[in-house]
Amino acid sequence: MKNLFAIAVVFMLSICAVMAQNEKYTQAMTEGIQALNSLDKAKPDVKTLQDISNRFERIASAEPKEWLPKYYAAYSNVILGFVGASLTEKDQYLDKANVLLKDAEGILGKPNDELLVMKAYQSQIHLAADPMNRYQEDGAKFSEYLEAAKAANAENPRIYYLEGSNLFFTPEEYGGGKKVAKPFLEKARQKFSAFKPQSAIHPDWGKVETEWMLSQSN
Amino acid sequence: MKLFYYLLLLTSPVAYSQKMIIGKVTDKKGNPLPGTNVFLKGTYDGTTTNANGTFSFKTSEKDTAMVAASFVGFESSEQKITLTEKGADLVIQLEELANELNTVVITAGAFEASDEKRMAMLKPLDIVTTAGAAADITGAMQFLPGAQRVGEQEGLFVRGGSGQETKIVIDGMIVQNPFFSSLPDVQQRGRFNPFMFKGTSFSTGGYSAQYGQALSSVLLLNTTDKVSNNGLGISLNLANAGLNYDYANKNQSVSMVGYYGNLRPLFKLVRQNVEWLHEPEFKGSSLTYRLKTSKNGVLKVYGMYSDSHLSMNSKDPANESGKTKLVLRNNNAFTTSTYTDSWNEGRWSLNSGFSYSRNRDDMTFDSVGFDRFDERTQARLVLTRLLTGNNTILFGAEAHAINLSNDVDGKLYHLKDRYTAVFVESEIYITRQLAGRVGLRGEYSSLIGRANLAPRLSFAYKTGKYSQISLAAGQFYQNPDYRYLYLNKNLNYERADHLIVNYQIIKNQRTFRIETFYKNYAQLVREFTGEKFDANPYRFPWGATNNEGNGYARGFDFFWRDQKTIKNFDYWVTYSFVDSERLFQQFDQSATPTFISNHNISLITKKWFAKARTNVSMTYAFTSGRPYYNPNNEKFLSDKTPSVNNVSIQASKLQSIKGNLVIFYANVDNILNTKNVFTYRYTPDGKTRYAVGPQSYRSFFVGMQIMLSKKAKVEKNDF
Repeated sequence: MKNLFAIAVVFMLSICAVMAQNEKYTQAMTEGIQALNSLDKAKPDVKTLQDISNRFERIASAEPKEWLPKYYAAYSNVILGFVGASLTEKDQYLDKANVLLKDAEGILGKPNDELLVMKAYQSQIHLAADPMNRYQEDGAKFSEYLEAAKAANAENPRIYYLEGSNLFFTPEEYGGGKKVAKPFLEKARQKFSAFKPQSAIHPDWGKVETEWMLSQSN
Repeated sequence: MKLFYYLLLLTSPVAYSQKMIIGKVTDKKGNPLPGTNVFLKGTYDGTTTNANGTFSFKTSEKDTAMVAASFVGFESSEQKITLTEKGADLVIQLEELANELNTVVITAGAFEASDEKRMAMLKPLDIVTTAGAAADITGAMQFLPGAQRVGEQEGLFVRGGSGQETKIVIDGMIVQNPFFSSLPDVQQRGRFNPFMFKGTSFSTGGYSAQYGQALSSVLLLNTTDKVSNNGLGISLNLANAGLNYDYANKNQSVSMVGYYGNLRPLFKLVRQNVEWLHEPEFKGSSLTYRLKTSKNGVLKVYGMYSDSHLSMNSKDPANESGKTKLVLRNNNAFTTSTYTDSWNEGRWSLNSGFSYSRNRDDMTFDSVGFDRFDERTQARLVLTRLLTGNNTILFGAEAHAINLSNDVDGKLYHLKDRYTAVFVESEIYITRQLAGRVGLRGEYSSLIGRANLAPRLSFAYKTGKYSQISLAAGQFYQNPDYRYLYLNKNLNYERADHLIVNYQIIKNQRTFRIETFYKNYAQLVREFTGEKFDANPYRFPWGATNNEGNGYARGFDFFWRDQKTIKNFDYWVTYSFVDSERLFQQFDQSATPTFISNHNISLITKKWFAKARTNVSMTYAFTSGRPYYNPNNEKFLSDKTPSVNNVSIQASKLQSIKGNLVIFYANVDNILNTKNVFTYRYTPDGKTRYAVGPQSYRSFFVGMQIMLSKKAKVEKNDF
């Protein structure tokens, strides 16, 4: 009887510990995501972003079986790759994002649609850092990753958001422009309205940006 | 009840006593590193360093913990610490990762155009947007430091070397006929489209042991791995019409090109200094197939075929009528396939290739036949091992089977060469500031029945954050001109020894580079005819020959490029000085050869007009006078031509028409209509002097490129 009781206690304790750990994870992730969402979208602060990226990396170190911390750390580094001061600095962040995405892929066993979208996003920002010399290679990678993401989950709204934003920022003379981007952004809007993230900490970004671009496209 | 307290204790971590971990993160020089992530591995405990590089955070861990510190661009560090009651106070130093600012690159003698390497001084697109280069690779290369312009011949003349002393190499394979068939006094274009290549490396000497059979220089061209656009493209200009089609899916891609050209319309508009009987007419096609065989494996197969027909009256002082009627029909095929792969996370990599080329010129001079035929089959294999600390060692071998024949008025001369080479080369980083490359190449040619062993050596030392000095030295062998070998197969290799010192500084989109060199020529072929010097460059060398020639070339060159000072404006200036004398060919004393110009200056400017989507480029080129042979002057080769000046402009405009992208381009060469003279020749009696100049003086060219695929996307400089 005493034994049984002891077992029950140990069992309960371990559940409590797991729950506490889980709670800690969700809380840390939620805080990180909130920090990301409260960034100034037009001009994100480098130091804040570095801090956010560091937070996610710490979570990743504590939770080696979770892919989301790596994913968000990569996301932060892609944004850093956009706001970095020099080409060298931008590339360092973007290279780091690639490493983190590779780690996340390793945790999952194979890339899912969100990782592929993030890879496409990374290629887009890598291209933007030196467009004259990179459009060929990165342009091809961008479409390749998005195609793969579509094959994995055509309902992911971020695929269409990235397609739209890419055209949105491409000058009309090169086959881009707001007009051309609009149908993609509208498709993204439609997919966003139907989209339900798996949990509160799963990827759910891009909607605000889509709405902003659509407001500019009229 | 006791148990309840236990439970409370275990599930509420706050109840633990917390320890404070503080410290500072710096680089190796002690500069603080703000933004560094410092944390205990496997826990949530950690923080980001502040502006002073310091940090502090709390932890509930006990006994020992692993502290990790990571910062982008630096090597991450991990250290085990013991947690006492007081916590811990740490000083963490991080080492910078190797990057282009802190690691030296071996650069002496190399001038690269590349997207991938940041030390590259040019980008591949610079080649097609340079006015005066006519979108020709070698045309653009001749504006680079170390190159001399020789207007009436094709080829790259590098630092006192002749055009034959430069080999053109595509993906490691020697190109047997890189230019359209040579014509008397008419410079020919290269056969390859610059858009085929992702990187170009122009060597001005001291090049790697991976390459041989070039006394002066190698031009290395690397083909692209991917197609840029899917779909159909049309090109139309004053000289030709072409179609190209690209298709790519995930693992493979195909590009097809077909064209027909006829220079008659252009020559009707641009006054010719050459009397054409049949304006050049040509057609050709090429096919490229690329397959991704595995994660890192890539197979590329490229094949091209072209034929051309032309006829002209060329100036010929030796002929009574003063001209010779020349008819030329050429057909040329070149195929190359390469396979590259790497294993074990890049620790081993393989480059292999197989190539076959075949060229036939059916030629008559005043209905006397001079047919030329050549074919080359080659195979190449290079294995590279990446060692720790970025050190590498590579081993390789190549084998060529070359058949040549010349039919001179029914008499057939034939040559067969089986050429093999093995090489080994290692790149060693002694420190991040000091690196060396040591190589050795051994060659054997069955034609002359001889072997050679050529050592190559380079060093580079980083003198500052943006600057470095390098040194290169080596021996280079080349088989004598095959025309000598028809009659004398006992000749030895010709040899050149190079010594090059280079200083460069690249900072903030500005580049300054200066290089000085000394080149020693030995074992050059001399010909003894027992007669007066014969200046006809197309004569067949019938005299007795030996390897007793020698010579030297020395000088320096200078390069400055600025892409920063004025927005959307890019310019570069090169100046090359060379002083050279040789005792070779029919020379009976040392003299400066006719292809040497002491001073070459070029100024290249490019301006991008964003609103008009137009790129305008202007090039000014100056070439000082070259020696020419005057039979009436006792002093051999002491006369000099006037200098050559050329100003050319080029403009290209991007336009979207119904969703298709169209690029319009126009250029004017020699806009000032300068009557340049490249060299002079004399009639056999020595009384009359002829000037040899360009095919036309002021000339213009217009054309357009249409990309019919809606997917086609083109950036700023893509024309």
